This record gives sequence, structure tokens and C-alpha cells, in this order.
Amino acid sequence: MKPLGRRQLKNPQVEAEQFRRRAALGVIGIAIALLGLASGYFRLQVLQHEEYQTRSEQNRIKLRPIVPARGLIYDRNGELLADNVSAYRLELVPEQVGDVKATLAALSGLIALTPEDLRRFEGTRRVSRRFLPVTLKLRLSEQEVARLAVNRHRFPGVDVVPYLTRRYLHGDLFAHVIGYVSRLDEDDLKELGDERYSALTHVGKSGIERAYEQRLRGSIGYEEVETNVQGRSLRVLRRHDAKPGEDLRLSIDAKVQGAVVEAFGEQNGSAVAVDPNTGEVLALVSLPSFDANLFVNGISHVDYNALTGDISRPLFNRVVQGGTPPGSTLKPFVALAGLESGMRKTGDKTLSTGEFYLPGVSRGFRDSHAGGHGWVDLRESIAQSVNTYYYKLAMDMGIDSFDRYLLRYGFGRKTGIDLGSEGVGVLPSPAWKRQRFNQPWYAGDTVNAAIGQGMWLVTPLQLAQGTATLADDGIRRPLRLVHASRTGFLGTWNNQPLLPSENIGASAFNLGEVKAGMVAVVHGPTGTARAIGIGAPYLIAGKTGTAQRISRKGNISHDPRSLPLSQRHQALFIAYAPADAPRIAVAVVVEHGGFGATAAAPIVRKAMDAYLVKPDTPPAVFASKPAASATAPVDPPRPKASESTPMPARPAQ
Amino acid sequence: MSLLVLWLRDMLSRIFDKVDLPLLLALLALMLVSLTVQASAGSGDSRMVLAQGARFAVGLLAMVMISRVSPARLRTWTPLVFGLTLALMPVVFAVGSGRSARLWINLGLFYLQPGELLKLSVPMMVAWYLNSTPLPPGWKTLSVCALIIGVPSGLIIIQPDLGTGLLVGASGAFAIYLAGLAWWRIGLFAGLGLASLPVAWQFLHDYQKNRILTFLNPENDPLGTGWNIIQSKIAIGSGGLTGKGWGQGTQAHLDFLPEHTTDFAFSVFAEEWGWVGVLLIFAIYLFIIGRSLWIAANARDTYARLLSGALAMTFSVYVLVNGGMVAGLLPVVGVPMPLISYGGTSAVSLLAGFGIIMSAQAHRKYIGR
Repeated sequence: MKPLGRRQLKNPQVEAEQFRRRAALGVIGIAIALLGLASGYFRLQVLQHEEYQTRSEQNRIKLRPIVPARGLIYDRNGELLADNVSAYRLELVPEQVGDVKATLAALSGLIALTPEDLRRFEGTRRVSRRFLPVTLKLRLSEQEVARLAVNRHRFPGVDVVPYLTRRYLHGDLFAHVIGYVSRLDEDDLKELGDERYSALTHVGKSGIERAYEQRLRGSIGYEEVETNVQGRSLRVLRRHDAKPGEDLRLSIDAKVQGAVVEAFGEQNGSAVAVDPNTGEVLALVSLPSFDANLFVNGISHVDYNALTGDISRPLFNRVVQGGTPPGSTLKPFVALAGLESGMRKTGDKTLSTGEFYLPGVSRGFRDSHAGGHGWVDLRESIAQSVNTYYYKLAMDMGIDSFDRYLLRYGFGRKTGIDLGSEGVGVLPSPAWKRQRFNQPWYAGDTVNAAIGQGMWLVTPLQLAQGTATLADDGIRRPLRLVHASRTGFLGTWNNQPLLPSENIGASAFNLGEVKAGMVAVVHGPTGTARAIGIGAPYLIAGKTGTAQRISRKGNISHDPRSLPLSQRHQALFIAYAPADAPRIAVAVVVEHGGFGATAAAPIVRKAMDAYLVKPDTPPAVFASKPAASATAPVDPPRPKASESTPMPARPAQ
Repeated sequence: MSLLVLWLRDMLSRIFDKVDLPLLLALLALMLVSLTVQASAGSGDSRMVLAQGARFAVGLLAMVMISRVSPARLRTWTPLVFGLTLALMPVVFAVGSGRSARLWINLGLFYLQPGELLKLSVPMMVAWYLNSTPLPPGWKTLSVCALIIGVPSGLIIIQPDLGTGLLVGASGAFAIYLAGLAWWRIGLFAGLGLASLPVAWQFLHDYQKNRILTFLNPENDPLGTGWNIIQSKIAIGSGGLTGKGWGQGTQAHLDFLPEHTTDFAFSVFAEEWGWVGVLLIFAIYLFIIGRSLWIAANARDTYARLLSGALAMTFSVYVLVNGGMVAGLLPVVGVPMPLISYGGTSAVSLLAGFGIIMSAQAHRKYIGR
């Protein structure tokens, strides 16, 4: 860049003079602007001083949030499962208290303060501002409230504040359905994205409480309150009402849920009962469970460590996130696939000799009876659970065709239940095996897959949905837990809209054959679950199953009872009833339970009795509770859901 | 003993001989006010006061060091400084951090905000360029200046940091104004600027639009942005003629006033010291600006003159924008009250700017006539 232009030369004197003029003008301009600003301040501070003085000193307007009551949760018959109870908490305003240490010492003479209360109080106090209240203790007892009220004059800056807290009426019975709320933390606030929500004390952390958080919570309101210098409220200027949370009526039937839990006794496992006509879940059990109330007001370290340290994992929701090989409960679905693919006719018979060998492989695959079942057709293969029938069927179909049909029946897919983090299990396929283990697919894998063993994993939800799909003539309905909702106690219940269902595309004839096989399991002369059919006032269609936890070594045949507990088989049973007009479909998994027929099937029968027979006496789990459903209307019988339009079958992959 | 005293005096005079005493005293007075405001607004939290004090110390050190660099040397460094600071902008886009915008580079020890450095290097570059061209500037000169100013301030605005971007732009524009830009041209640019406002509106972020809309009608959003303005006005207005007294400002203490240590620190001051205090602060600011422009006018060359003058006038923009904003006279723009609001980089870069002005004062005698 040339320092000098061609036509003009720089003239330092002129430039300096020019600058002086401009700088002087600049100073004058700035001075005038500052004067203008000062006069603006004069208007605020002197002319309008009275007005702002008033607003500041006498009548400070504070925004006080109005927290709506959280929606209540009922079961399908109107039995209350979760409600809100008023409680009192103790708050301190450090600035008004003065000597906090002395006050704490004096207070501990009146009420029980645990070291944990004090630790939490100190922690919050350190980050909070001195004139803001800090909670010292939640859920004061009535005696404590009374004692504090009498001694109130001794404690300036100490306040007893009413609030609403969540209560689960059947502590652990619905912990894996309803989940729980717990105290709002910083992360929750970030997610909510609005500082006003800091007034909320609780937020849903799992189960229905989490999945329906927004609707249960409602929306927060606020009121503009005049406060005096001490911060005491004088009067409410304006109110922006809160929108109350919606009450939910679950599809769960507390009686069925209770009967299932009772039937499990001391055993662990999971169970799902579904109304095949709607996809509504009638019972959802994962055992062991935990008391959801523990989490509401902050769980203590001792309790939490006890829960997380338990090897049977009470916090783990087996129904939604668990997975087990389906074992022989898969057979009805495989049988249907065989018929639908045209590989088998119903009368086709297969010879079971007790052992099945693949060409060139010395290790055999066996039947449940040594010596085999002889020649069996489709119905008998289901009734007696004949493995060889399915080994050969799967080999004839090939794994790709096999997977195509089972995927269509819902395996390896979500059931669509309205709870978060649903697992999909594993539908064994060459692609999956390559991705997971980086191994090729062997013919033996197909044979194992045929009887629901090997890589298979299904969730109890998938099993229940699959059973309901068979029961409802091939209509696969998304599962759901919420039956209806209402806004406000006087509001009318609005049924949740049904989600679109899909048709698995199976012919009525083929479905009928499979269902006949399932009826034979319970009521046939050779059925594996004959015992539970005795004395039933309705027809049951079912299928037993036992899932291996360990693979068979060599040719030694194991008695499951000789195995250590952790390696025992899982006992499964799926069933629906009444077989001629199904109203309930159930899947039960009993951990380490030995055989499906003996461990799981009786639980299914109890669930069906509870739902279909409606005994006059409630199950023992409710014995201690007074009947709370007196005022609640009884759920009207729902017509078979003809309003849901069957969707065309999913296209094959 | 007396020898030691003499030696100390000698050392101090060597270090501070380039420092302009009246300017230094005025700046120190502001810093003292800042520390008292922080002490009050922070409700006895001494960490804020100490942190602010430490930043002032760093800033003063930078000021003394820069005051010892002659304008001639500074001028030769200018293109390099400008290039380096401009090169930091892509870096901040790539690895920057910040709450709502990417403004900061984490250097481990402290966060660096390149926008603040450009507040110095842009007027430096404009002055460097104008120093070598005939003045008053013509179209060709103006178009080069438009590039020097437009690129960095445009980059800052899209960060997005509207406040800093406008200040950087203003610092360059002031240099051109002081160089004697013809009045009809100023009028033309002002007209063009006004005409392009509707277009510029389209490019503002939603939160920036909201701030302007809220400024026009604060009651629109009494819980959001309007809340700050309303509460700030209540703080200032309730201060009255003589104020509520130090540490007695209830608006800030009861948490009615958000951001009361940073952008709204001046409302806390106005509440506690009243209109009298406000006038006093304005007087100190006016003195600082006047003194700086006086120094600039006597500087030895066009470069030092334009640079010092532009820095002084930019300083006034801080005062006017922040003072107007907290009183609800201007929209909320993230511009701090210089040397009073809590904030590190801004205090350091401002004091470094005064180092340049002091250097111009100290080296005025060695004019190469």
C-alpha cells in the first residue's frame, strides 16, 4: 500500500486541526448524551421516585408459583392406586434466623432431626441465598407440627409449610407399573426448561409416573402477590391458574394383579395379562418388587444400597426390559408359520424317535421323552410339545422364512406399550449372529431356534401380546396400560383412543388348528398342562415351556432340580381363556422354576380365575386395606373392538 | 534507609513515568466504586470482590506495560496484531464455548474472548490504514475501511454477540469520523443505515428481537425479559435523590433484580447512591472521555491520534448504552457498564486501551517534526 496518494498529499497540520474540531464536537455530543441520560435518571429517581419507592418498599410484587395437584391413578375398576396426601415440611430462612447453629440445637429438642436431614440442609444452605427458605425436614409428624406451633414465638424465620406428597396405596404391588416420583433435581429442571418449575417438589422417574409425567403434572400457574418489607404476603393481585394434572385410570385390574403376586408366593419372575380384544394390560408383575413409597421423599442410603445390592434385582423391570428364551411356548407360533408357509398340512405327521440328528453332525437334539412320541400331527405336536416335529419343520422352512413369519407375529419387535425403554429381545437370525458374535450361522442354530432356545430372547410383554394375537384371530394390538383419563375430580372419564392394530395375515383355518392344539395342551388326554384344566369353569388354551439357562453338555440328561438355583431353567406358560371367546391372555415366567406345567401354569390359572370368575373375597394382599372402590363406578363391559381397523399384514422383510 | 526509599521512588517513577496521573486516578475511582458495588450486590460473598480485584490488577498491569510501548512501535505491529486477533475468530467458532453463543476460548488458565481483543485491534488497524492515506477519506479509503471493520464485526454478530459486534463496528467508525469524514457522507451513511433497519431485523435472532419488542413494551412479558427491565427501573427509581445507602439496596438483595453483578450492576449502584451518585459517576466518565480526547488531540501522529480518539469515544458508547439499558431507555444489549460491571475480559481490554492512550500522552514530546 502506497503511503501517499497520487493526487492528494497528506497534510499533518490540517489533519491535526480537523481532528481537534471533530474531537471537540465528539466531547460536546457525548456530554449532551450523558446529560440526557442523567435527566432520564432524574425522571426515574426524583420525579417518579414516590411511585418506585412504593413499588419497592411497601408493595413488592412477588410471583408465587401455584403447583397443581398431581393426577391420581386408579385401576380399571376405580380402585385408587396413587394419590396425594398433604404433609408439612420445616423451612428455615437463614437471614431471619440469625444464629442458625443455636436454632438447630433448639429445634432438635422438639423434633427428630437425623444426621441426613442436617447434612442435606447444610448442603442446600451453602448454595442458596440467605433470604430464601431452605427445607430442613420433610413429612413432619402431627406431634411435631403441634409442638412447633406452640413454640413458634421462639423461632423467628422458622416456618412449617404445607405441601402435597405422593402416596402409593399398595407400596410394592404396582411398583413396576406405576413406577414412582421422587424429588426434583437440577437435571429435571434443565429438562423442563423453565425456572418456575423449581416450585415442583416431585417429578416422575419411572413407570407410568414417568411415561405420563406431562399429563399427570398439569401445568404450573402463578399468582402475583404483594409482600411487605419482611416478605410476608399481603394480598393476591392477580392469579394465573394452574392446570391440574389428569387423573389416569389404568387398564390394570388390581384383583388380577394381586392374585398373580399371591400365586407367585416366594418365587421370582414376571407375568403379563392382556385383554386380547383391546390390547389392554390387566396385570403386569415383576418380582421381586420394592416399595415405591421409599423413593418419594428421598430414599436413604441404607435402603437404596439394599435394593441395588440385592442379587435378584428388585428394581429391574423384568416385564419391560427383561428377556428369556421362550422355549416351547414358541411352538404354537412356529406351528402357525409352518401352516402359513405351506410347509405343513395339518394332517402331516412327523416321526419322533427321541433323538434328531443333522446329517454329518454326531451331537443329537432330543425330545422331552427318551424314546420319543411316535408319529405326531400338528395338534399332538403342540399338546405333547414334540421337539422333533419343530426341528424338522424349521429345517424345511429355512431360517429366513422362519424369521419372516415370527417377526410378523411380533417377536423381535416392540409391543408398543406405553411405558418407556421397552426391550425388543432377540429374534435369532444369521445377520444378528454375525453382528453380535461375528460367527457364521449353522444348521444347528436353526434347530435350536425352532424350539425357542439358543439365541432367542423374548420379553414377557411379547409373549403376552403374541398369545393375545392368537386368541384374537390374528389381530396384533399394541399393548397399553392407560384405559381412560379425566381432568379434575368432577371431569368425565375419556377413554384413551385405540391405537391402530395390525393383522398378522394368518388364515382362520390355520389359526383354528393351532388353537385346537393349545386347547389340547390343557384339556386333551396327552396335554402337558392337564393339571390346571381340572375344575376350570371355562376352556383354557395354553402352551408350556421351559427355557434352558445352560446348554446341555454331551449326552448327560439333567434333572433340573439338581442344578444350582442360578442355573435352573425358567418355567413358562402362555394361555388364554375362555378358549371359545377369549377375554384374557396371560404369559408367566417363573425364574428357576423347573417345568412350565408345574411352576408357571398354576399362576396363570389363578390370574384367569381372578378375572373371569370374580370371587367375592378379594385376594389376601388387599385384606388389610378397606375397600376404597365403593364410590368408583364399575367399568362398563367393553364391546369387542370392532372400531379398530385391521391393518394389512406387514410386508415380508 | 533513605537510600532504599530513593531507590523505590526511582523504580516506581521509572515504571509509572508513562502513566497519565489524572486519567489513572479517575480510573482507580471507578474501580473502587465497582468493588463496593460487587461487595454489596454479592451479599457479603467476598470471592466476587477478590476476583474482580484480581482482574483489575491484571488490567492495570497490561495498562502500564502498554503505556511503555511507543505509538510508533505499536503502529508497526498493528497489521500483525490485527491478523492474529482476526485469525482467532474461526477458532472460536470451532472450539468456543458459552451459554447461548460461542464466545469464549478456554485457555485452561482463563477464558479468552476474541471479540474483546478485536475491540482494540480493529480501531488500531483503521488508524494504521488512515495514517497512510490522505485525509479526509474518500470512497476508495472508505471501502477499504469498510472491509477492515465489517469482516470482524460481522463475524462477532453472527456468533451471535450483537453488543460486542456493534461496539467493534463503532470503534472503527469513530476513527473514520475523527479522520474528518465529510458531513454529507456521514448523513448518507446514517440514512442508509436507517433504511436498512427493516432488513437487519430479519437477521436478528429471536431472543434479540424479543429484547427489542420487550423494550418497546416491557409489560408484554413481565415474567421473562421484561422482568429485568421492570425490576431494574424499580431499583433505580426507589433509590431517589440520595439513595438507600451502601448495602441497603433491597431490590438486588432480595433477588428481585437479576444479573445484578454484571449487566445490571449500575442499577444496584443507582439504588444505593441515588441520583447524586449517578451524576458523580457520569462526571467521572465524562472526565475520562474528555481527558482521553485531549490527549489524542495532542498526539504526535495521525495513527496515535485516531486510535486514542476512537478508543475514548467507544468508551462513551459503553456508558451510554448500559446506562440507557438499565434505566429502560434503550433495549437490553449485552454491554457492561465499563469498569463497574463484573467481568474479566472487558475490564482488561478497557484498561489496555487506556494504556494505548497513556502511551500517546507520554510519547507526544518525541514528535518527529
